[in-house]
Amino acid sequence: MRSLVLAAAALAWASGPSPTGSWRGVLDLAGGRLSFGLEVERSGTAWKARLCNGSLCQPLSNVRVIRDSVVFEIADYAATIAATMDGDSLTGVYRNVGNRGPRSIPFHAARGRWPATPGSRRLLGRWDATFFQELGSSPRVIEIRNGTSGLEGTLISNTGDYGHFAGAVKGDSFALSHFDGSFVYLITGALRGDTLRGVFHAGPRTETPFEAVRSTGASHLKAPTEVTGADTTAPFHFSAADLRGRMVSEKDPRFVGKVVLVDIFGSWCPTCHEAAPVLAGLYRRYHARGLEIVGLAYEVTGDTAVDARQVRRFRDKFDIPFPLLLGGINDVEAAGATLPQLRGFTSFPTTVFLGRDGKVRRVHAGFYGPATGAQHRRLIEEFEREIEKLVKER
Amino acid sequence: MLLLPAVLAGSVGAQGADALARERSDYISWLQTAPVSPFAAVAQQPIGARLRIGPADSDLPLEGVSEHRLTTSGGRVTLDGADGSRPVPAARPVTLGGFTLLVDGPPGRQVVTVFGTTRRKRAVEYYPVDEGAVFVGPLIPPERQGTVRVLGPDGIEVEAIEAGSVQVPIGDRPTRLRVRRIPTGGEESELEIFFRDSTNGKGTYPAGRFVSLLPAGDGRYRLDFNRARNPFCAYSSAYACPAPWQGNTVPGAVRAGERYGA
Repeated sequence: MRSLVLAAAALAWASGPSPTGSWRGVLDLAGGRLSFGLEVERSGTAWKARLCNGSLCQPLSNVRVIRDSVVFEIADYAATIAATMDGDSLTGVYRNVGNRGPRSIPFHAARGRWPATPGSRRLLGRWDATFFQELGSSPRVIEIRNGTSGLEGTLISNTGDYGHFAGAVKGDSFALSHFDGSFVYLITGALRGDTLRGVFHAGPRTETPFEAVRSTGASHLKAPTEVTGADTTAPFHFSAADLRGRMVSEKDPRFVGKVVLVDIFGSWCPTCHEAAPVLAGLYRRYHARGLEIVGLAYEVTGDTAVDARQVRRFRDKFDIPFPLLLGGINDVEAAGATLPQLRGFTSFPTTVFLGRDGKVRRVHAGFYGPATGAQHRRLIEEFEREIEKLVKER
Repeated sequence: MLLLPAVLAGSVGAQGADALARERSDYISWLQTAPVSPFAAVAQQPIGARLRIGPADSDLPLEGVSEHRLTTSGGRVTLDGADGSRPVPAARPVTLGGFTLLVDGPPGRQVVTVFGTTRRKRAVEYYPVDEGAVFVGPLIPPERQGTVRVLGPDGIEVEAIEAGSVQVPIGDRPTRLRVRRIPTGGEESELEIFFRDSTNGKGTYPAGRFVSLLPAGDGRYRLDFNRARNPFCAYSSAYACPAPWQGNTVPGAVRAGERYGA
């Protein structure tokens, strides 16, 4: 009996406490607490985890548990959350590697899920925001709504959104967070009279104050089509190697006479991760009627083997049925250089619509992800309308 | 408008000391392991219109690397060699033979920093943590808005935004220190102060040190000299050293933050 007890104690010591379950995670930024969720489960001998902003979760690439130490790996962004477990709490650091030093933010978590706190009607809706920087101001739109996990929302700029935000509300004050392993965003604010006043926190300590008034419906942001233009007089030219090293261009028989969507993306770009399943869906629906899609990846290292591996991961993650080519390196200037027919190329992703004659019909800079709700649906409808129109052209 | 010692403002705590200890150990581990660590830097050079790299007689000799050229055109940098041509994006490390190249800086004034695989083993030393070297207070808006070209801690020229100044109660009378917002990528930036004090050359790096101004809530900021750090030129002569910022001299000794060993 005694030896059994000892054996059980030894086993417990060897395996340590279990991180299985839900965790309320916090990143301590200089100006506030960014909250997110972690869901950890055991699968055979391995551990799995998901990182959640409210009801929206994404799987993490790997979890290592050694005794009371837990390391969550976020391979897409070469980042980790390393923590020590003590009973029902985790304490540690989120890190990723920078060029001027490590970017690290204190992390802690307690067991359980964040309570769903819905916001009052006074907070909900679409707000036209003005961000104040030292040298001037710039427009954004803040959308706030109640979702299954309480207060949710997103932030939208001229070229796209910052992802799905989730958070908490107390009276007329709110905090909305978005953390995906790379982007660290927190919006804190309060309603005073008819005006929302608050701060947008990016990374550990960049703070931009803002003011917002309820949207009247008039356009507050510049339309993406006004941001990026293209030469529409000649067929659009692209040429790049596929993931097996074979050069592919617009002259490839699979594209000739077809409607082609050129998706300029990067596996490192969170918004591109949101656009990928939508494009894959459009391809499946319209391919038989003459739609082709080609993805031009602009990656991080410039090392073909490394970049191709990242792009293969991306392809497999979203089960992408269309070809992905290695366009070049992650840089708007580099991408602009390899696609000289684009003007004012500013954002990843950018989707270029080509008619059956190969000429540019539309350029859409950025992408509104599912977090933007109505705007996301409207964007898909616009894409569908454009494709319907183009496939009918002969 | 004066910064107050944080001890008086009641905002120093054990948690702050823990965070500082962790920041320091993260930074030292980054110096010891990152491919683009200043400990591994071997050269830093403006690219100009064209830079020949590789052979012994080139602008930038790199052992074991055949002749390559970095060229800039329309703000874009390309690396050409016998193995082909590839664009080199800003702030993204690219490998070439046994070296890592990092191109950064504004269009037309880009600089390449080259890193090798061997690292200097250099101690990074700090003064003991001094709670009296932490101040909290307002950021005074700049007299004139605008940008200025300065070298960042990594020797790369950046377009910094004049963010204002802080008044520090060190020495006989309060000293006004200029604050600039230095872009660090994406939506992020740092409020930085490059300052000199009487310890320079006598315990700290002769050219001065950087310290970040951290938001402390309610529109106040925290200036923690325990977080003062050396520019990268302190670790490797490969880096260009920033020129002191006019007027940013503390009239006294700031015995806090990073030291510079003899």
